Amino acid sequence: MSDEKQVTEPCKAPEETNFRGIACGGFGGEISAIDSKDGKIIRIRPLEYTTKYTMDELKDSLWEITAHGKTLKCPTKAAPPYHAMAYKKRVYSKNRVLYPLKRVDWEPGGDPAKINAQNRGKSKFKRISWDEAIKIIESEINRMYDTYGPNSILCLGENGHKESKMLHAGGGIHMQLLGHLKGYTREVRTPDSVEGFYWGAKHVWGTGATFGLGFAAPPPMNQAWGVVQDITKYTDLLIFQACDLETTQNYSGQHMSQIMRYWLDIGKKFVVIDPFCNYTVACHDEMKWIPILPNTDAAFDYAIMYVWMTEGLYDRDYVKTHTVGFEKVRAYALGEEDGIPKTPEWASEICGVKPWTIRALAREWGRQRTSIAHFSAGHNRGPYSHEIGRTEAYKLAMQGLGKPGVQQLHLGCLGPAKQAMQVPGGPSSAPLMINQFRQYVPMEQDIPRTRIARAILDKDITWWGSPQIVYVNAADQFVEHHYPAPPEKNGTEVHMLWSEKPCNQCCWNNGFKFQDAMRDPSVEFFVSNHQWLENDSLFCDLVLPVTTCLEENDVVGSSQNVNVDVACIQKKSCEPRGESMSDFQIGCRIGKDFGVEEGINLGMNEEEWFRYAFDISQINDEVSYEELKEKGFYVPKLAPDWDSERYPGMRAFYEDPIANPLDTPTGKIQFYAVELEEHFPGDKERAGIARWVAGGPESEGWTHDETLQGERAKKYPLLMCANTSHWRLHAQCDDITWFREVDTCKIRGKDGYQYEPCWIHPDDAAARGIEYGDIVKVENERGTILCAAYVTERVMPQSIMVSKGAHSDPIAPHLDRGGSVNLISPDAPISSKCHGFVVSGYLVECSKVEDAEMEQWKKDYPDAFARKYDPDTGQTYETWVEE
Amino acid sequence: MKTFVVDLKKCVGCHNCQVACKDEHCGNDWMPYAKPQPDTGQFWLKLEQEERGQIPQVRVSYMAKMCQQCSNASCMAACPNGAIIRREDGLIWIDPAKCQGCRKCVAACPYDCIFFNDELNLAQKCTGCAHLLDRGWPISEPRCVNNCHVGALQFGEEEDLDLEGAVKLHTEYGTQPNVWYKNLPKKFVAGTVYDPTKNEVVIGAICTLDGPAGNFVEETDHFGDFWFNDLPDGEFTLTIRSAGKIKEMPVSTMDKDIGLGDIPLT
Repeated sequence: MSDEKQVTEPCKAPEETNFRGIACGGFGGEISAIDSKDGKIIRIRPLEYTTKYTMDELKDSLWEITAHGKTLKCPTKAAPPYHAMAYKKRVYSKNRVLYPLKRVDWEPGGDPAKINAQNRGKSKFKRISWDEAIKIIESEINRMYDTYGPNSILCLGENGHKESKMLHAGGGIHMQLLGHLKGYTREVRTPDSVEGFYWGAKHVWGTGATFGLGFAAPPPMNQAWGVVQDITKYTDLLIFQACDLETTQNYSGQHMSQIMRYWLDIGKKFVVIDPFCNYTVACHDEMKWIPILPNTDAAFDYAIMYVWMTEGLYDRDYVKTHTVGFEKVRAYALGEEDGIPKTPEWASEICGVKPWTIRALAREWGRQRTSIAHFSAGHNRGPYSHEIGRTEAYKLAMQGLGKPGVQQLHLGCLGPAKQAMQVPGGPSSAPLMINQFRQYVPMEQDIPRTRIARAILDKDITWWGSPQIVYVNAADQFVEHHYPAPPEKNGTEVHMLWSEKPCNQCCWNNGFKFQDAMRDPSVEFFVSNHQWLENDSLFCDLVLPVTTCLEENDVVGSSQNVNVDVACIQKKSCEPRGESMSDFQIGCRIGKDFGVEEGINLGMNEEEWFRYAFDISQINDEVSYEELKEKGFYVPKLAPDWDSERYPGMRAFYEDPIANPLDTPTGKIQFYAVELEEHFPGDKERAGIARWVAGGPESEGWTHDETLQGERAKKYPLLMCANTSHWRLHAQCDDITWFREVDTCKIRGKDGYQYEPCWIHPDDAAARGIEYGDIVKVENERGTILCAAYVTERVMPQSIMVSKGAHSDPIAPHLDRGGSVNLISPDAPISSKCHGFVVSGYLVECSKVEDAEMEQWKKDYPDAFARKYDPDTGQTYETWVEE
Repeated sequence: MKTFVVDLKKCVGCHNCQVACKDEHCGNDWMPYAKPQPDTGQFWLKLEQEERGQIPQVRVSYMAKMCQQCSNASCMAACPNGAIIRREDGLIWIDPAKCQGCRKCVAACPYDCIFFNDELNLAQKCTGCAHLLDRGWPISEPRCVNNCHVGALQFGEEEDLDLEGAVKLHTEYGTQPNVWYKNLPKKFVAGTVYDPTKNEVVIGAICTLDGPAGNFVEETDHFGDFWFNDLPDGEFTLTIRSAGKIKEMPVSTMDKDIGLGDIPLT
């Protein structure tokens, strides 16, 4: 009878609960509780700390902030983002790679006739055994070393399917393995999310956050503590310039939604400057939106500074005592340098913001304590983004950066309170991340991620600086590098690629060029480890199935932009799907065959790793390992000085710049960086001071011609605003069926395909005969992507918005149906000496796809249109794998 | 009686509520309370979105909509099999074991909150996550409410809820709905006033909106902006006055919110 009852009342069947952060691409994230039953995940919901601890036990762990008569208390429930709460759909996605897959028309051995490089992204896959897959990898590794030398294998990694993992995280395992063999060429993660600050602001205020990101953070620790509290207490006005905290922060948690509501309730004013009426300004009636044309912020910023200079609305004393070189910036702003005063009228012609609005904002800003919030949205991702990074620093410097209420709020300082733990990811992530950290270690031969395609196609590239995204100072940008490396460093062309992050084409610059490179016959073997059959994996010869974070045991807590850090030890919530293994397990398995397994696992099993991590953690005097394991999570106590007002953000420098210098050559904020002109004389794109740089024809020495004033705008008259998607993290989560039925995520075209929305203003749509839902092509010289029109008042005219990171769905070379906008972003770097990426603020045209054109494509590329397609998920395993 | 309160002012449009409903009910069988919800296309809770105004005066309103738990439920009246009942706690429940798939309740619901599951031949809707309420673990409230990080969704005994200013949707349908809504959007008229001879915004301009539906006054702020919020539908005359200059124009909120953009005061 009891069995029968079980069947008729499944609602009563017991469930098991695990706790972990699920942040698709980062550390930690607000903690989710994952309930499972019979080896199947039932639900994912926010963790409530009080389910295992009393309020008395939690009292030293939860902060409270009081300002203007109102108190904000740290919630006792975590705030994981919708990506995490829908993660069941990723675990059970129809797009999961379940078994090792081999491309049908590729064979190992390097015979050009059997590689069929030209068919990558076109031909399908078939299932093979793990034994065969590993045999292929091992034989190809040996062949590469024997034929081309120790650096002929390029490892692409980091920042891909990280999923908050620690021990099992990919991104450096392949490097660790090959490092114990004969070597590898390292793909360098060029700075993303911080481009303009990394390449620009670092020359103004030093290395900044994490010793290299270029966000404001003072030495000696280069961390910006207490900024949320400083803003809460003292800031009157918050400027969101390229900041959409209701979107970009949601990769790890939604605690900023709670804090922003509190800030509005205590009377703070917000101005959002963005080409797109972003998800933050759209839902808060109290905020003001100032639409601006993409990538014109440097002109806008100069007009703001012009008003301050001419009306005395800046901190003259601070500029005198804390900065150098202001006179050069003033001379440029006032027109003494080039005869053109940078008035609001001048800027308006470029940026599209009316001069009266620029003036009004400049005065509001100059008269009130104002902070800038910034988080990985559009404006630092365009051509010449170093200029915008620098003008943002100039604005803050003119208003006395570091004084109470005048701070830069950035992705390195969104935590409201400091806890004792202070390490990302878990109770002690550093030792667990030993394999991932491999990607920060310079090798004999490196290639920047932005230049992979060029390295493969041109076989010869030169660049400056950027050995990694963090722990790198400004002077590094003067060091010249080459690929191939010189002979004494075993420089060689790469002929095998191994990716633990197969999304370069969707996340980085000019994805179509990357696809070209993958189709180059010099790439004899391309293997990826990935959970889902998507993007770069479609161009692989071998794809290895990887577990998602919910199929692994690990030690993962929350951290990195959460209300409160939490430590967790969790068991897997379900068995690995298909034959998937973690990147760590794959590395160990191959390492075992080569006799180097202990170089990866250090001779420890999982339990020993977790125990070791705990033993050296900063919470081992607060809780026992056994209790942590039994309860599954622990909320560490706040640091004793968590609410100290001593030095929030840049305060110490503000109070005494001599005693607390920055790590710039002068120790001060440098409006003018003479070292840039010394090292790169004649560089008109990144000179000693920031300017409005429009660029121009290549024949005149410009890297970009991507403004509405330029020649190319005649053919491509719209500026692309490729803001972060509300529904994805980078290229992840594009297969979640519950997101794809929301029209801000996908729009169903008349042919039944779920197209990526192209947000276009009614005026621009009408001029092109486009209506809501029409299939449109977005294109420039680099290629064509298909989207569906989302006609809206939420985007600036002369600009369209296509969020980055949609899955590519190749129809033919340089023609894609998935709407992955980075495919058509520029190949060229930020500027000639700054090899970061340009993935927004470039020129395109948008037009309606007529039926005849679509029919012609179907005739020309029948295989692409014949592939199986599931509108709910998009491309699936069945799309690409032969029976 | 248990019910929901939805506060649109607190909602940030994240869709966690809609995701929660899917996560709880798609692919999960909660018999005897509910059979699974289809994976896509049906929304026992739907976050509706409305874009309002014109650039740059644009706002987006989000509104969570689910079964309105009506006291005079037309679905109950329409069901010939007695499959729809009111639970003791007040929630309206379709008993999956009794539903015969006649679809009459689907047509009867004026709020479009009942869906027909073709595969299971079953009418389905929000259950208030009654299986969770009754068993009390791992949570004892509806998933949509549990997933909301900003307090935009509340659930509980009606007398315990803060209902100040709350209203119900479409009471004219006559079904006596029981779900409460706060801060439902009314129309707005907004603009930026500037002086074209100086290229300056006009601060402190007195703006009046006059019409049969009412008379309203606002003053432009430091950005030269005026926002008339919570307006009734109607035909109005907008008058802007500053330093002896006057501008008049007709505006209508009958069909939509009005963002007038930049208005020169000459």
